[in-house]
Amino acid sequence: MNRLLITLGIIAVVFVVAPLVIVVPMSFSNARSLQFPPPGYWFGYYHAYFTDMRWLRPTWNSIIIAAGTTVLTMILVVPATFALVRHRFAGKSFADVMLLMPLAVPHIVMAVGYYSYLGMFGLVQTHLGVILAHTCLSVPIAFLVLSANLKGFDRTLERAAQSLGASPVRTFIHVTLPILKPGLIISALFAFIQSFDETVVAIFISGRNAETLPRKMFDSIRQEADPVIAVVSTLLFALVLAGIVLPPLLKSLRSRVTPAPAAQALSTAENQS
Amino acid sequence: MQATIAKLAERPNLWPWLLLTPLAIYLAVFFLVPLANVVFMSFTEPRLTLANYERVLTGALYQRVFVNTFATAALVTAVCLLVGYPLAFLMTRSSPRTAMLILTLVTMSFWTSFLVRTYAWMVLLGDSGPIIGFLKAIGIEQPPHLLFTRFSSTLAMVHILAPYMIMNIYSVMRKIDPVLIRSAQSLGARGAALFRHVYLPLTAPGIANGSVLVFVICLGFYVTPVLLGSPREQMIAGLIGTEIEEFLAFGRGSAMAIILLLITLVILTIYHRRFGLDKLWG
Repeated sequence: MNRLLITLGIIAVVFVVAPLVIVVPMSFSNARSLQFPPPGYWFGYYHAYFTDMRWLRPTWNSIIIAAGTTVLTMILVVPATFALVRHRFAGKSFADVMLLMPLAVPHIVMAVGYYSYLGMFGLVQTHLGVILAHTCLSVPIAFLVLSANLKGFDRTLERAAQSLGASPVRTFIHVTLPILKPGLIISALFAFIQSFDETVVAIFISGRNAETLPRKMFDSIRQEADPVIAVVSTLLFALVLAGIVLPPLLKSLRSRVTPAPAAQALSTAENQS
Repeated sequence: MQATIAKLAERPNLWPWLLLTPLAIYLAVFFLVPLANVVFMSFTEPRLTLANYERVLTGALYQRVFVNTFATAALVTAVCLLVGYPLAFLMTRSSPRTAMLILTLVTMSFWTSFLVRTYAWMVLLGDSGPIIGFLKAIGIEQPPHLLFTRFSSTLAMVHILAPYMIMNIYSVMRKIDPVLIRSAQSLGARGAALFRHVYLPLTAPGIANGSVLVFVICLGFYVTPVLLGSPREQMIAGLIGTEIEEFLAFGRGSAMAIILLLITLVILTIYHRRFGLDKLWG
């Protein structure tokens, strides 16, 4: 029994990893189509990506939109998380459910909603429109990460500061915020990634003017399978790799306590939809 | 101003509402109203009518798409389980180092964009890709067309959703007390019996969590079926997209979206009653 499960497990690992690895050689391929293994190697498509405005503009749009989404999400979520974690009040459980609701709604449903709703205000095909829509999807994720951090917060530290004469505001700035900083950063990072990766809503509402990178990739794969996609995929994959491999390395170098992304992802997978 | 703040501070039960107000307003305006708008459109486009629901619930094309979506979601969930369970088991039986390495690989897959993984499958299964190449090399003259079929979209969806299953099962498996297994063994449980009566029930919560998650996400999957699937065998989300983008049929598209939403919510509610959603969401 054990042996069978372990053999199947090894096959499963190959299945999980192989498709991730294949995009890297593809990005250096000189083939015009999806030929694998590539007939030859060059950097031509990297050059194409970094000089082609049809790819650079969506990349830039995605960065702006994800940054805007992160700022708006944090402005809304940080106070709300304090309210929900630190206070008891009537309607709290309702508020909890409402905050997580966007996770339960399939993105295609929200896309249909935003398509006509944002259109009424002339917000379709604008950065602001996409930011407003993406914030809705980022709110529950940022909230889950932050509330988990805030629940583990040792409040005696705040009481100690206040008993030493610090005002509530001073305590918040000098004690609460510094301790909560890693949680805030990770929560903001998740909001950013959620927006940067979001495809379905962006396909419907970002249009030509605010076209995001995932939308551009989607159109490109659907229409022509432009080989530049392999370059973009490799770059995105490299970012993920850096994000996962670097923090534990830095941690072992500086031996400072930073949550490992793998453990973080594990806890989010347990948490989010 | 100062006086107002002082007054508010004296009534601590007002604070949470004050802190929640901005988010509540935002969610009302940009979450609830757009959703209500979908409901509204499903009954009023092109005019006040129930015809959209009638058409979507009784039309042969729509029924086929609904059946197809459920069948695909069930198949994807089953295969994810088949991939995820042994992999999670392998992790619990490996050295901490190997387990960490596998977890890192799964995490990498989890964080890599849907589109990148979809594209990777396009390369793998394409007509000039390695799998067709291998089939030709071992002497199969006319290998089957793999891309743009139900097979390719199902396989890619399994790959994309497997990390959810793996992480859910692994998080349960690693908490299993080895003493339980040893005591079962000392009582004579071996092999399949040990697995069926001890290990499987202990890991059931992870299986349930992972399966609900994968099934629900799969029901509403848009990107991968549209890019890799057969245009003749669409799933619900893909058809909603076609109705809106190609036919500008907002009424029918909205009616389907509402049905998809209701099905999703019913599944999550049943799960919530039975196990508690907090287990799924933390």
